[in-house]
Amino acid sequence: MIAIEVRRVGFTYPGGVRALDGVDLSVGPGETLGIIGQNGSGKSTLVRHLDGLLRPTEGQILLDGSVVGRRHVAELAGLVGIAFQDPNRQIFAGRVRTEVAFGPRNLGLRGAELDRRVTEALDMVGLAGTDEENPYDLGYSRRKLLSIASVLAMRTPIVVLDEPTTGQDLRGVARVRSVVAAIAAEGRTVIAISHDMRFVAETFRRVVVMRAGKIVLDGTPAQVFAEANWPALAETYLEPPLAARVGARLGVGSTPTEASLVQALTGRA
Amino acid sequence: MRPDPGPDTSVAIPEPGAAVLPAYVLRVPTGPYRALNPLTKFVIAIASAVVAFGVRGWTGPLSILVVTAAIALIAGVSRSLRRFVLATIPIVASILLVNAFLYPGATDVLFRVGPFAATGTGVTVALQAVLRVIAFALSVAVFSLTTATDDFLADLERRGTGRRLTFVIGSAIRTIPTMGSRAIEIVEAQRARGLDTEGSIRRRLRGIVPLAGPMVFGSLGEVEERTIALEARAFSAPVRRTAMRALPDSSTQRALRWVVGLGSLVLVAVSVAGRFPLP
Amino acid sequence: MSVATGTLRLSGATYRYAGARHDALTGVDLELAAGSVLGVVGPNEAGKSTLCLVAAGLAPVVVGGRLTGSVTIDGRETVGMRPHELAQRCGILFQDPQAQLSGTASTVFEELAFGPCNLGLPLGDVIDRVEASLATLGIAALADRDPARLSGGQAQLVALAAILALRPDFLVLDEPTSQLDPQGTRLVGEALRDLARESRTAILVVEHKTSLLDQLADRVVVIDHGRIVRAGPSAEVLGDPALVELGVEPPPRVRVRAALAGAGLRTPDEADQLLAEPAR
Repeated sequence: MIAIEVRRVGFTYPGGVRALDGVDLSVGPGETLGIIGQNGSGKSTLVRHLDGLLRPTEGQILLDGSVVGRRHVAELAGLVGIAFQDPNRQIFAGRVRTEVAFGPRNLGLRGAELDRRVTEALDMVGLAGTDEENPYDLGYSRRKLLSIASVLAMRTPIVVLDEPTTGQDLRGVARVRSVVAAIAAEGRTVIAISHDMRFVAETFRRVVVMRAGKIVLDGTPAQVFAEANWPALAETYLEPPLAARVGARLGVGSTPTEASLVQALTGRA
Repeated sequence: MRPDPGPDTSVAIPEPGAAVLPAYVLRVPTGPYRALNPLTKFVIAIASAVVAFGVRGWTGPLSILVVTAAIALIAGVSRSLRRFVLATIPIVASILLVNAFLYPGATDVLFRVGPFAATGTGVTVALQAVLRVIAFALSVAVFSLTTATDDFLADLERRGTGRRLTFVIGSAIRTIPTMGSRAIEIVEAQRARGLDTEGSIRRRLRGIVPLAGPMVFGSLGEVEERTIALEARAFSAPVRRTAMRALPDSSTQRALRWVVGLGSLVLVAVSVAGRFPLP
Repeated sequence: MSVATGTLRLSGATYRYAGARHDALTGVDLELAAGSVLGVVGPNEAGKSTLCLVAAGLAPVVVGGRLTGSVTIDGRETVGMRPHELAQRCGILFQDPQAQLSGTASTVFEELAFGPCNLGLPLGDVIDRVEASLATLGIAALADRDPARLSGGQAQLVALAAILALRPDFLVLDEPTSQLDPQGTRLVGEALRDLARESRTAILVVEHKTSLLDQLADRVVVIDHGRIVRAGPSAEVLGDPALVELGVEPPPRVRVRAALAGAGLRTPDEADQLLAEPAR
């Protein structure tokens, strides 16, 4: 179980766009972190630095205390697994099983151990029994879960999910939430990028808000969605969850989730 | 509550004070060369390329170079041509080296560099070949710098190429940047799962299917979506498409196209028959 | 903006894709009248996208497959219409903004002109329609931009404007904000609200974001396994916490109230305004 440290990282794309500017972030082993912000705020750019797909223009990334430097992505993929937003830009195999096996196979697994990993990963996302199906016969929701399973099978200490709930229905979102909980229960780190304020508030113990390449807010959901921070959120066109707004109106403190709102009101009664 | 029937929009009625196309859509070509019909410019480019390669000796390529340079000056694109010339440097360099030093059977040595001997015959051939390549590159360059793709395709369509074909060509040209960003996303997703693109050749070859697969299937999937979306925008309406920009043609230009086109073929035929009078 | 007419009606519509083993839609009855907004919710793979294609007439006319029952616009069956005729009666917008742009226009203006030019309309008409569409959605500032370089929300508005340029009476939207960030969602949501209010175009919109439908729709239907399982005024359908059992997330105001009720708490008066049904 490893820690991530992002030290004064800046990144400018070759075309000149400054995507990250002085980002400092420490993520302890086993933390769950949700990153929110508008498109172009630097969220995707930041996570791509974790497995070496991008190398910082300034600053350093450290994994487990050692600098990422110029280590190959193929090697870092064993530490940081990233499931990207569009499953169609990843799925290539004709069978679900082959697709999920791709990642662990690249890490050198074979035989019974490989099979076990694949089965476990499919179970975790609720796709047990679809082994022989063609990924494109699965609907979009399940294909997204498949892309997550193919990263879970790598059993990396750090798992990154890029927009896991986009296009998902209620059950899909619930499934993603249970996946995050299951990974966290094993002591592994989970980082997710999301547009869904409620999903982030309910699923992660820590929230980071990004804007124009910088981190503008960092804390627990209760801290980030507290009334004092609403102007900062408004500046980046984000709205706190309704539960938070109700809690603030009723003067019971910061209640980013329905559960915390209920708890606060029960306490008051 | 009964809704208002409203105006009948199935018949195109010219409305009062009909507007004019904004300048950035009209994109009126400036200068005598640019204002030529796209097909004329295309025929000139093809004819130049044909003469540059098809006429033996120095005259062919040299004359095309002169003609193309003149056109570039008139059209005001001479500075931009530099880019295209620079792009030919790798080919030019290899042609020069290979032919100058390794021309088979040549014995008229001009100078030596280490163990290699440059022959007069080789150098002559090399220089001519270089001239042809540059002449060809420049005539293509002048065409693409003076002709907007949209105009060229619109002209083709007006001449009866058919909506689908012109659309396919046009969107293929425009899809290239999108394919690029799609490819990048695919490469990133596979590398993040351990696909090695930085290691040995053998390891990199293993990446072909995981990289090509989503590219192809994703593109096919998008084709279906795009087909539906296009039909929803009346793409297959059985009428003549409205042309937004008028691309004037004239009988003079038509005559010019015939003269230039046939002329180039005649020159090549004469050269091939060995009767070309000039060096 | 021209005022729309007519009714889009599905009666007992049952549809199966070519080569499929099961019907994607079964016995769907639906009516979309001028000036109304109908929301469609349901779990994924329930048939929402198929419903959009069938309502717009694209299934079976373009997509193939088999349709039984009837789909009519003003009493005229859509199966008998050609794609370009359908395009002028019913427009459709999909999730992915870039995939539905023509890919051949250098400017937004030309992108919007694509449809009308396809119809061979006189140039003056084409220009008028483009300018009207730009004005309706308030995107005149984007007219000279490259469509391929727009943000998701902007591209979606351009795609919507391009459809409006064909002056359809009906608009079908399949998860229009699904791929957008919060700002893009707001942009498109507001545009749809204004459109519904001002043009009286009939709109059918599929969405997971029930909060959006809460503000936009007059009526909502829930679709599951190809059938309509609930239909009614939007406040009633979306206001039912049991929506969760049907695989649909109710809007936040409903969830918060349900959470409070579930804990035996009374909803405090001060919270009423935040938890009230939105004015439509």
